[in-house]
Amino acid sequence: MFGLFKKNKSFTAKLADYDQEFIVEPGDSLLTGALKAGLPWPKRCQVGSCGTCKCKIIDGKTRAEIDFSYVLSPDELNDGYALACQTSLKSDISVAVNLID
Amino acid sequence: MKTFYVNVRYLIVPVMTVLTICGLFLGGIYAWTGVFLFGLNIILDTATKNIHLRADFDENGNSFGIKTFQYIVMYLMLPIFIVLQCTLGWNLYQFTTSSAVTIESLIGAILSTGLWAGLGIIYGHELSHNKKEGFSVSRAVMALSGASHFTYAHVYQHHLELGHQNDPATAPRGRNVYWHTWLSHFGQSKFSFDLEKQKLERHNKSFFSLDNKWILGYLYSLPSITLFVWSGGIIGIVALVVVWSISNFLLEALNFMGHYGLIREAGKPVEHRHSWDNDNLFTSWFFIEIGRQGDHHVRGETYFWELDEVGAPNYEIGYFTLFLLTLIPPFFRKYTQKYLDEWDNNQASVAERQIAKDYYEDTKHLSNNILVA
Repeated sequence: MFGLFKKNKSFTAKLADYDQEFIVEPGDSLLTGALKAGLPWPKRCQVGSCGTCKCKIIDGKTRAEIDFSYVLSPDELNDGYALACQTSLKSDISVAVNLID
Repeated sequence: MKTFYVNVRYLIVPVMTVLTICGLFLGGIYAWTGVFLFGLNIILDTATKNIHLRADFDENGNSFGIKTFQYIVMYLMLPIFIVLQCTLGWNLYQFTTSSAVTIESLIGAILSTGLWAGLGIIYGHELSHNKKEGFSVSRAVMALSGASHFTYAHVYQHHLELGHQNDPATAPRGRNVYWHTWLSHFGQSKFSFDLEKQKLERHNKSFFSLDNKWILGYLYSLPSITLFVWSGGIIGIVALVVVWSISNFLLEALNFMGHYGLIREAGKPVEHRHSWDNDNLFTSWFFIEIGRQGDHHVRGETYFWELDEVGAPNYEIGYFTLFLLTLIPPFFRKYTQKYLDEWDNNQASVAERQIAKDYYEDTKHLSNNILVA
């Protein structure tokens, strides 16, 4: 009901191009998990409106917490792109992102 | 005990809204309960203006806030606000079909409903930042005030553009709250219209589509319109206009107070200095920490009970007290001038000072340091 009583389970996100991985705690977004792990993930608004935290989900199940179609193009949506600040994990995933140098 | 205290303190609005509903049911002088409570809140807010608390975390940095509890309360506010409107509808029906409700009682009921529908918009705001279901509840809460477009405009425009002239919810110096209400309300609706138009074009869909959230948002308000027209006819329409005007005025007053006169360079990150904090005890608890705007706009996905003092510019008084000042624009401008001077001199970047100098033709809006720079 309304997402209030979900299973409390952590998942692992593996960064495809960096040979790094981090834990995403229950209730945290993919971006929050990355930031908690100290990763320099690009971010700006953190509410899903600017697209700065855009990444590509290569493998695994995620849930879009808001409608991404306002920010991402149809092609990007078809290619598996997501906004990390509004993405929760439903399984371990592999994700591609350009971290800040 | 700490957990209990941290979570229960945010129940002021739900409790007072239920009291307002009870007042509408009882009628007579009790129909004015909502107005009385609003006045009481001004006193409580002013009395606690010097009490500023921080967010509560345990020794491990974990919040005492219980997410499930807070979300149940926020979701429950939707049926509570529906009951509030239905109770006013019942008053309108009684007034038009019998002598059971007097004109004095009806006026009290209309004003009470408008005030608490407006104050309830804080839940529409909070839920606009929270996930799919919460977002939908936010839309429904806002639709009760004919402002469902807010949810999209707030997230996709205000959080991206605040402090810039592209953001209708940010009031430039010199504007009064009455003019701001019109500009901000219709500016946000226009943004939501354009947002949907662009989205649907990109996806090769017609503007007149069930995927058009701008149109759907206004359709969500149809039950309210139907209720008021059915229960009160012409008087019901007048009541609806008054209720929606008051609630939207309160919503835009919050936007007005939250960012008045602050400036941000286009494209630069939103920082704590781009929002005004109002974080005295009563405002923090009543408005579920919406007054911690500095933190909220930098960490938009953070739960309200985890928002904290971050060194944002601070008006040093609560929303209710400041709201009284906004009603008399010269008083508001006089009160805020020293805080704007402080911001210009100590918090604004060089580029933001230059924008201020270029933008404001009337130099009374600028601090002396900017003028001589």
